[in-house]
Amino acid sequence: MKTYLGEFEELVLLTIATLGAEAYGVSIQQDIEARCNRSISIGALHSTITRLEEKGLLKSWLGGATQERGGRSKRYYEITPAGKKAVTESKSLRDELWSSSKIKLSTIK
Amino acid sequence: MSTHQPPKLARKIFEWFCGSANVEDLLGDLDETFYLHLKNRSLFQAKLIYWKHVISLMFSYAIRKRKRDASFGEFASSSISLDMVKSYFKVATRNLLQHKYFSLLNTIGLAIGMSVSLLMISMVSYVSTYDDFHEQKENIYTILSKRIDGIEERDFASAPAALGDKILAEYPGIKEMVRINSSLHTEAKLEKESLPLHGYYADANFFSVFSFEMIQGNPFDALQKPFSLVLTETAAQKIFASTDVIGTLIELEGLGSFSITGVMKDHPKNTHLEFEALASYSTLPTNTSTHNEQWLDYKDQYVYVLLPESSSVASLQQQLNKIAAETYAQTPVKVTFQTQSIKGLVKLDLYNSIGPQWEASGFWVFGIICLLILLPACFNYTNISIARALKRSKEIGLRKTIGGVKNQIFFQFIVETVVITSISLIGALLIFFVIRSEFQSMMVEASALDLSLTVHAVALFIVLSLVTGFIAGSLPALYFAGLNPIQALKSNPSNKAFAGMRVRRGLTIFQFALSFCFILTLIISSRHYRTLINFDFGFKKENVVNVELQQADPAIFKNEFSRLSVVKSISLSSGSLGLSASNLWIHQPETHDSLEVAQLFVDGNYIHNLDLELLAGKTFPDQTWQREQFIIVNEEFVKNNKLSTAREALGKTFIVDGKELVVLGVLKNFHFAPPQLPIKSFMFRSDPSQFTQAQLNVNVTDVYSSFSAMEKAWKSLSQRHPLKATFYEDDLNNAYIGYQSLIKIAGFLGLLAISISLLGLLGMVVYTSETRIKEVSIRKVLGAGTFGITMMLSREYLKLIMWAIVLSIPVFLFVFDTFFTQIPNYHVTLSVWDLLLSSLALLILGLVTITSQTYKTALTNPADTLKSE
Repeated sequence: MKTYLGEFEELVLLTIATLGAEAYGVSIQQDIEARCNRSISIGALHSTITRLEEKGLLKSWLGGATQERGGRSKRYYEITPAGKKAVTESKSLRDELWSSSKIKLSTIK
Repeated sequence: MSTHQPPKLARKIFEWFCGSANVEDLLGDLDETFYLHLKNRSLFQAKLIYWKHVISLMFSYAIRKRKRDASFGEFASSSISLDMVKSYFKVATRNLLQHKYFSLLNTIGLAIGMSVSLLMISMVSYVSTYDDFHEQKENIYTILSKRIDGIEERDFASAPAALGDKILAEYPGIKEMVRINSSLHTEAKLEKESLPLHGYYADANFFSVFSFEMIQGNPFDALQKPFSLVLTETAAQKIFASTDVIGTLIELEGLGSFSITGVMKDHPKNTHLEFEALASYSTLPTNTSTHNEQWLDYKDQYVYVLLPESSSVASLQQQLNKIAAETYAQTPVKVTFQTQSIKGLVKLDLYNSIGPQWEASGFWVFGIICLLILLPACFNYTNISIARALKRSKEIGLRKTIGGVKNQIFFQFIVETVVITSISLIGALLIFFVIRSEFQSMMVEASALDLSLTVHAVALFIVLSLVTGFIAGSLPALYFAGLNPIQALKSNPSNKAFAGMRVRRGLTIFQFALSFCFILTLIISSRHYRTLINFDFGFKKENVVNVELQQADPAIFKNEFSRLSVVKSISLSSGSLGLSASNLWIHQPETHDSLEVAQLFVDGNYIHNLDLELLAGKTFPDQTWQREQFIIVNEEFVKNNKLSTAREALGKTFIVDGKELVVLGVLKNFHFAPPQLPIKSFMFRSDPSQFTQAQLNVNVTDVYSSFSAMEKAWKSLSQRHPLKATFYEDDLNNAYIGYQSLIKIAGFLGLLAISISLLGLLGMVVYTSETRIKEVSIRKVLGAGTFGITMMLSREYLKLIMWAIVLSIPVFLFVFDTFFTQIPNYHVTLSVWDLLLSSLALLILGLVTITSQTYKTALTNPADTLKSE
């Protein structure tokens, strides 16, 4: 079954992929906020992460105990092969559209 | 690290909200963000953001999902497959068979509870078939009217006949219009006597609108000519003993000679029309009365219209509104018209309706009563199921652990309940068959009711059992579905069982409160009934036999019957005191005052015969009078005419029906009307032509022989009619037949409610006794006595009954004040004794039920129960 990604979903997936081994709740949120220069609600972020996990595009595990956050462990996220496929498909679709569209990147100056 | 902490309350709320769901990482994230913010913002701002995040998370899908995951095992799946349903059935039947005692209690309780609802359903189902047989039922409309007279607004089923002509003339979109006049109440004169005949005058197209089947004669012109008459099969048989009567002439009392043009099949019971005969509308004299009379005095006149297929009623309604506005512009009374499909007509509350009427309000009351009986039965099931939760909780815990989700567990228990209610439905049907005829005989409109089973009714019965199953099962199902698998699998009873306790107590208290109210109602109404039966009317009612004259000549009758040895004296009258009386206005010629007075026509013997007490004057002269001369009045009459003494009233003249009548005697007050009505002005008159019945003062040593003697004497007067003789006392008591059936119904329902509550109580007591048997045994070993143990086990339930009584008393007092006191001239008041008596009755019943079980438990040999440990 083909998975369709929403804009925010794609953003979250790519951010997690960018962050690599350091992808957990706070880092994901901060990264997106910094890059996109927009404030995102923590509830919406976690809802999206949960849905992506349900679709099998993400997997998560609990890390060990930490010092700085009251001893509470972090939940780390990683993009799955299915997730990679979904982002790749999304990218190729865009590339195709870009190449065939009348907008020439060079004209934007 | 700073000493500032994230807001504790927010964290607490969040943790509480998430319950058993794993949110450690989220809490960690929240803390981390908080400390990050602390670096460049104020403490207050950081805390605010923390709160914001908590709220945002609480409403997020992430938490919902985590919570859901937490309540199920790893293999959870929410689908319900056919195989699972089969398995549920199997588990349900095994469970039922394993716990036969409880299954039986539940089934009986639910069967009793559902039986009354079956009555209700079959009645509603039957009433909904009314007028279904008319082929054009969708397009037949009748016109209702609403009269607004000052502040009084009344809805009538009737509408002026003149309206029929008017819409026919002014509104082209009408296929047929039928006028019906229901004033055909007459007697068919036969050779020797006459038979009552009731029916309608109807327009010639009656049969082309309504689908009634004709056996003889042409339906389309049978009602064409004046003085044509169509009889129903029964009426034809009754009058002529044959249905082959076309063309026969029949003399109708006061109307003239009619020619019979048709015989129709008896109309089905389920129609809003009810008649024995139809006379052609053209028989009625052309209306020559004034405009106002035609449009304002339209009692017994009905207008039906048949609209063409697919035409709208709305435009007809508009036309009606227009006509009403024009016609009633100048009149003091305003009337508006309303179209009404004949479907559903029978369920409206209307004045002057043409035939049987099933008021919707009655159905509501009945429906509420059914619910009050059915709900306790459902509660029984709920109670016993929750009580037995401990035994089932292992099963549920296991189911959940291996992947059963909430929906499935819920569904499983609903299936289980539905299995029980389906079995109960069979029991309920048996009860239904037993009580059906009794119930029907209690209904006023019984003749228009047929409660035999139809497909429609049976389908509704099945729906009822499903719905009942859902109601009874949803509480335990929810309870089980919400069980935490870990707690359920623990061997110790969980705390949740105590949460169930509160619900169960509440339900039991409700049941007993209901039973208590039923017992109280029964006690009060039967006391009221007794006072009514023993009511002193002020005249003699014992040993008086009323005989209906039925067209026999009064003089001959008197002659024949006075010869009988059992008859001591005979009097004649136009009706019976204490049952009914007609009213009219009389005038006092001197003062021109007028007064409304009730009247009865009697002969000279009457006053003596019924032991009425004369205060002054004398009774009517005993011989044939040429014209009416006298009246005899009561005290109230004297008082209302502002006369000080009885003696003063004697010889006064009053104008009655245009005749000058002189007061001949004054009687002590007596109840000439039913006892709930106050005594008003009354007079006896003496017009022999009005006599319809005779009062025989008899010696009743041998009822049978005296009646057979009367029978013989009657034979010489009339062959066709049987003797209609009844004891006056019975006649008077029969007037309370409605009340009597009310008591019967209340008693019956009370019995049902009480037995349901007792069944439930029995189930609960059996269950607790079973679970506490070890405790009881240990207590016995340690030296507790049988009585002490019985008391210990019973105490809790007795307390519940007491609570029920205490709580229901204020409710009942309120109901008593609002409803019972509405009954006119209601003499009975609620006394402390009634409350005590009902409480005692309920307590004794409860005590017997409880101790029957607890005593048994207390008697068990401790060695038997303890050795298995």
